[in-house]
Amino acid sequence: MLHQLLTIFPGIGTLFVQDPVIAFARIGFIVLGFVLAYLGFKRTLEPLIMVPMGLGMMAVNAGVMFLEAGKIGTLIIAPMVSEPNALIDIMQINFLQPVYNFTFVNSLVACLLFMGIGTMADISFILARPWASITVAVCAELGTFVTLVIGYYFGLTPGQAAAVGSIGGADGPMVLFASLIMAKDLFVPISIIAYLYLSLCYAGYPYLVRWLVPAKYRGLEVEIEFPEVSSQAKFVFTIVAAALLCLLLPVASPLILSFFMGVAIKEAEIEPYVQLLENTIVYGSTLFLGLVLGVLCEASTLLDPRVAILLVLGITALAVSALGGIGGGWLVWAVTKGKYNPATGIAGVSCMPSTAKIAQRCAFEASPYAMIMPLAMGASICGVIVSAIAVGVFASTIGLVG
Amino acid sequence: MNIIVYAGMSYLITAVIAFAVIGVIVGISRFLSQPSE
Repeated sequence: MLHQLLTIFPGIGTLFVQDPVIAFARIGFIVLGFVLAYLGFKRTLEPLIMVPMGLGMMAVNAGVMFLEAGKIGTLIIAPMVSEPNALIDIMQINFLQPVYNFTFVNSLVACLLFMGIGTMADISFILARPWASITVAVCAELGTFVTLVIGYYFGLTPGQAAAVGSIGGADGPMVLFASLIMAKDLFVPISIIAYLYLSLCYAGYPYLVRWLVPAKYRGLEVEIEFPEVSSQAKFVFTIVAAALLCLLLPVASPLILSFFMGVAIKEAEIEPYVQLLENTIVYGSTLFLGLVLGVLCEASTLLDPRVAILLVLGITALAVSALGGIGGGWLVWAVTKGKYNPATGIAGVSCMPSTAKIAQRCAFEASPYAMIMPLAMGASICGVIVSAIAVGVFASTIGLVG
Repeated sequence: MNIIVYAGMSYLITAVIAFAVIGVIVGISRFLSQPSE
């Protein structure tokens, strides 16, 4: 009788035939998925990612069933299948398999998101204080390189350490791209941890800024002068910068092309494309990114002991990058003899535009006249560029580590 | 190559390329924004 009941409800029945560790982990992930989706609903975490991700996580761990030949699985996704014939078969069964194989494993989803980010990046913000912005952004990449070293000594391969280090760039699509290129076996946990932590950053970074930048300096008013630059000039240097970076870092050329194409379309004022990228492409990609990341959270995938190490390294990368960014803010403040608000430094951690908003909010708390948003956006856009360069450098040279 | 040396070297390369890109952007914007006389 019990056997028949479990056959009728295979989602429950499989819990009794699987390894008890996997079974308990499945229940744990169903609860975790609910918590993430709910925190997304409450806006504690980023709802655009967390609601589909939480639901996906719940569904993939609850909807387990008996498949042919006594196998246990779902009708959602099978990420480990790579043999061509098996892949063609499975694509006709699992509903998210085509999305996974045609947009995830080739980084298309990351590139689509980067096109959207490009249309939101106004190059004029960089031109307000170009050298200050790039200095802050370079300092805010510190976590990436520190985590690379720590990860290596924690037993990860150089490629895996570099991929998890890229979380320090605080750019979700970049982490996805880096882990697919350098650590394909760990790209699921690395991407999930990255998006989870990036959501938490929005809550944690303001405390760090208040702690490291006294109110007197956070409220510093700065002069912002936008040089008069024609849209022709902005368009020309956008495409020249793209070509230059592709020339220097061919491995990162898909991301570089995508980002600068977004910028170029915005500068060329091709309004139908801008609308397409800013609304349809960005939101469509984000929805499927969250959903696919969620359904990749199968208990068996995330019980890898290396996940615990990745959890530590991910938070280390973001914390050190924040310290580096704020340090960079202080450095520019010192060099310019107080003509730069050090709180702007947090915006160098490129999570655009979240960190720029955090910088502005912290400044406003200290003084209602402290308008630093244009400089913070400049630092944030430079952060995106520096993160892309760092990933390109890693992907091209990581083989040198012996 | 030792990992610490590699991390330092790759950070330096990243910084150099980043400053070079900004240099190009600033250079072109100044060049194209000069009033023609």
